[in-house]
Amino acid sequence: MATQTATVDTTHQDLTIEQKLQKIRELYADAPELGKAALKNGLAMLTQELAAEGRAQTAGRIGARQGKVSELTVFLPFVKGGAQRLRGLLRLLQGNFRAADAVGTVHDMRFVFVDNDTKLLFATAYDGDFDPYIEDFAAKIPNAMDLWLCNFEGYPGMRNPSAAADWIAKHQIAAEAWYVNSPNLTGAETRKLEYIGKAVDELLDKVGG
Amino acid sequence: MATQAQMVTEPTKERVVEQKLQRLRELYADAPEVGKVALQNGIADIAREFAALTGATGVQSAGRVGARQGKVSELTALLQIAKGGAKRLRGLLELVEGNFRGADVVGTLHDMRFVFLENDTKLLFATAYDGEWDAYIDDFVTKIPTSMDIFFCNLEGWPGIRHPKVKDWLVQHQITADAWYVANPNLTVAETRRLERVGKAVDEFLDKLS
Repeated sequence: MATQTATVDTTHQDLTIEQKLQKIRELYADAPELGKAALKNGLAMLTQELAAEGRAQTAGRIGARQGKVSELTVFLPFVKGGAQRLRGLLRLLQGNFRAADAVGTVHDMRFVFVDNDTKLLFATAYDGDFDPYIEDFAAKIPNAMDLWLCNFEGYPGMRNPSAAADWIAKHQIAAEAWYVNSPNLTGAETRKLEYIGKAVDELLDKVGG
Repeated sequence: MATQAQMVTEPTKERVVEQKLQRLRELYADAPEVGKVALQNGIADIAREFAALTGATGVQSAGRVGARQGKVSELTALLQIAKGGAKRLRGLLELVEGNFRGADVVGTLHDMRFVFLENDTKLLFATAYDGEWDAYIDDFVTKIPTSMDIFFCNLEGWPGIRHPKVKDWLVQHQITADAWYVANPNLTVAETRRLERVGKAVDEFLDKLS
């Protein structure tokens, strides 16, 4: 699959909202009837979205970022027998990745087997930029990374972090659009807020009681 | 879909871990060298992971389709793009610049990505969201039906958000993740936002005290 680098779109920043709406109307001139009708009825929401300041950023070398949170989306080709091994490993782990907890910068991640088990779609939401993120994995959990990534074609191993990062980037496809509900919170900040929330509840309980 | 893990009672815990390690060694008997070495070097870590699984809930189902961990579920769909649809959708996304006000309105969406694949013939649409699949889709239908049609009319066979078959169409294109990890599985979008406000209030409170 062709890779593509994320670019921040700056070409539309100087347009007025009306000019942007006009562009969308032109784009949708040959849309299915359903889409044209929706565009007419949905102008209020769309106008709000177009009026807000752009939130699309890049995660460095590749990938989209919004605030502090980035996306990584890769399609990795399995080696022979790799799908069976990885599936076996994931089942034994029951979806519990304490190794990822140890890294601390992962918000979520999914492993999806596609194209008759010839490829894996791996997609995560994580904190910060691409290169430090991969370096973190290489430094903190190299064995865990090798254990699951050894099941793919051409994987160079985490003992060679820069080659591993290049290999991942080669298979990555930057999202065209990326949305994060709480873009100002890293994983660590969210966990801290969870503690604070509990402490406040206890405090209020004591004050109230 | 991964089934719910069996609860393991305390006395057999060590044996269960050893059985799992044995199963893993068998799986990796014909793995590439880098994998075999990783298994050898990481065996203590893996044993700890397996031991910690005792009594853990693991990955659950989000209902009709998809995986869930705690309160957070995944939706992963591979969709065919209709003729001319890629140009329209890309143009629209570029103009919106990540401001998905509609997603904020729905209020159950943690994150969402649109990824164009295979020379713009396919779209990967993937989200992390709160709760069960059916309720989540219902939310879109009731809260932002028009936005849904504006984005999804560019996909092959999209029946329209108000069509009775819209859920079947989505299910048909969704692929359940084999594994799904969420760092903070106990927090919904609404709870995270509330905690953000609590955090700010606490900061102000402490500022005033000092």
